Amino acid sequence: MAHITINQYLQQVYEALDNHEGSFCAELLSFKHPHVANPRLQLPNPEDKCQQVLEPPYDEMVAAHLRCTSAAANHDFIEAYKFQTLVAFQAHKEENCCFRVCASDNRAGLDDSKKWGMLFLINQLFKIYFKINKLHLCKPLIRAIDSSTLKDEYSMAQRVTYKYYVGRKAMFDSDFKPAEECLSFSFQHCHRSSQKNKRMILIYLLPVKMLLGHMPTLQLLRKYDLMQFADVTKAVREGNLLLLTEALARHETFFIRCGIFLILEKLKIITYRNLFKTVYQLLRSHQLPLEAFLVCLRMMKVDGLDLDEVQCLLANLIYMGHIKGYISHQHQKLVVSKQNPFPPLSSVS
Amino acid sequence: NSGCSPRGTCQSMCPNRELQERESQNRLHRFETLAGTEKRAGERCRRPRADPKRTVKEYSRPAAGKDSTRPSDLRPPAVLLRTVCYLIDDIVYDFAFDRLRSVRQDMIIQRTAGPESRAVLERTVRLLAYASFRLCGEPLRLYDPRINDTHLQESLSWLLRCYDTEPGPHGNREEFQALSLLYNLGSSRVLQHTLELPERLRSSPAIALALSINRAFSERNPVRLLRLAQRLSFLQSCALHRHMAAVRRDLLLLYSHGLSSRNCRFPLPRLAKLLALDVAHAGQLCRAHQLEVHQDDQVVFSKTCFSEPEPGGLHSNGSSRLVLVASDVPRRRLEREEEIVNERRVRVIAALGF
Repeated sequence: MAHITINQYLQQVYEALDNHEGSFCAELLSFKHPHVANPRLQLPNPEDKCQQVLEPPYDEMVAAHLRCTSAAANHDFIEAYKFQTLVAFQAHKEENCCFRVCASDNRAGLDDSKKWGMLFLINQLFKIYFKINKLHLCKPLIRAIDSSTLKDEYSMAQRVTYKYYVGRKAMFDSDFKPAEECLSFSFQHCHRSSQKNKRMILIYLLPVKMLLGHMPTLQLLRKYDLMQFADVTKAVREGNLLLLTEALARHETFFIRCGIFLILEKLKIITYRNLFKTVYQLLRSHQLPLEAFLVCLRMMKVDGLDLDEVQCLLANLIYMGHIKGYISHQHQKLVVSKQNPFPPLSSVS
Repeated sequence: NSGCSPRGTCQSMCPNRELQERESQNRLHRFETLAGTEKRAGERCRRPRADPKRTVKEYSRPAAGKDSTRPSDLRPPAVLLRTVCYLIDDIVYDFAFDRLRSVRQDMIIQRTAGPESRAVLERTVRLLAYASFRLCGEPLRLYDPRINDTHLQESLSWLLRCYDTEPGPHGNREEFQALSLLYNLGSSRVLQHTLELPERLRSSPAIALALSINRAFSERNPVRLLRLAQRLSFLQSCALHRHMAAVRRDLLLLYSHGLSSRNCRFPLPRLAKLLALDVAHAGQLCRAHQLEVHQDDQVVFSKTCFSEPEPGGLHSNGSSRLVLVASDVPRRRLEREEEIVNERRVRVIAALGF
């Protein structure tokens, strides 16, 4: 075991998987087994070799384990722990019982992990996953922390970082209420002196709050040097689609780099709602001709629209609960409720 | 019989005369023989027998003295269509899918990079995208959409990674970035990746159109989406195809809520146009969602009535015909199958980039 080549090792893993030899497989991935001392297995870049022999997800798992042995050999134990944890957490995902054996093998190590700063490591892993754009890998980590009894015993700094990433993941999944809770927690508890960190949290908190109907003040934007949001805010508040399109285009690069461009585009629906509410207030009637909305949109230089699309937009707003009423196709009119036809944004989820 | 073209009467994929002839001359293709009758090693001159269910008329050059217009040798349009479907669905897809997979395997083992491997991946993606549309209604034993999807996604990500990391020129990059956007409609991951591409690429017609279709999807505007989809090329429509049912369902859902009233009478022809379907299919779709259609002509939208169709009721066999994008399907009756067969053949050839 201490002298086999990388190819022989991978072949053994492959055969163990193929023959469902759970415990042998676990040994090949365990840190207690002599193979970890084998210098021929300590490859810093094992992915290619693993991919040649093994199918996903085992190729990634074994590669992580080999990176771990390499790191450990260089006495880089933080690195090593990180990769072995990766293997263990991936194992929790797999139904395959041979990896449950492997995971329980590591559990003794995990319980001692408090002093290793498990949340610190998890936050580092989040950072990596966001960078390489593999957000789905965050889920098992979040599950592990949520089910852990230690979660309130970590330092506030770590909890702020943790909530920041969980909030961003929720944003990505379009779960805006949980995203708002996490990012708000993060922002409020972030240390007053970390202006840079507070700004980073705000970059993600602002779009979520705006989607839920809460617009930031200019004062806040100025304080944290986020004036890119100023025109966007103004446009949404006024129902000004033209300004919104311009504002998004002007700061496109910034928004895309932060990964919030797509979410900000969702503000269009809120903007339509605000615009149509203005039409209602101007016409002072509960029966609004569809033509009026079309004219209004054309004034906002929204091109290529016709009555069919207007009808669809309105139907969507009604469906979402932003407008209380119905469209009469025969009369080509939007008939709104006499009571509170445009409920406040914060009351509509 | 001058001025009158011959009309075929052969009802099988291969005329009997030819089947007998090729069988006796030992000129049957491997795919045409009856199982168990093939020649085995060591046997003397054993001629395989033809399987009439799998023998297909072969091409033979017209020659002086040879009569190629005998009606019993010619297959009428309906039989021609059956023949083509057999060839593409049962033979071509299965064989090509498997052999292409082996090609990719060779590529992985050798860690190949460069223009040839990209060309391989491009052709693979085109075939699998076309298959996802063409075979979507087929029974599981012939075509598994999930397996096709896995391979299509793998090949597509691999190809896009090559574009990102290998030096150009990448003449077809726009085409495939657009296909990825359409096949993965609504995926934030693919959208974000596209937004990070250089401006020059992003504003190319194919990608710009795919982006606006995605935008219409995320704004939940199915009317706009279906309208934009009419501008897609055939292969792009194939890539978008699997999302069409959901988009149409969404339109009916939104209208059921927005136009819900007792007196609602929405004209069916207008709805059909919005749905990019012909009137008959539009009516069928409404009824499948429990929406009443009065006098075959007017839809009664009602939020209390709208519901999901019975599983398998609508979107199994025949779904491929139902959810085809109108602009790309010749709106012809089945009497003109001949033209359909020809057009499909041309499209397959064009779509595969040959």
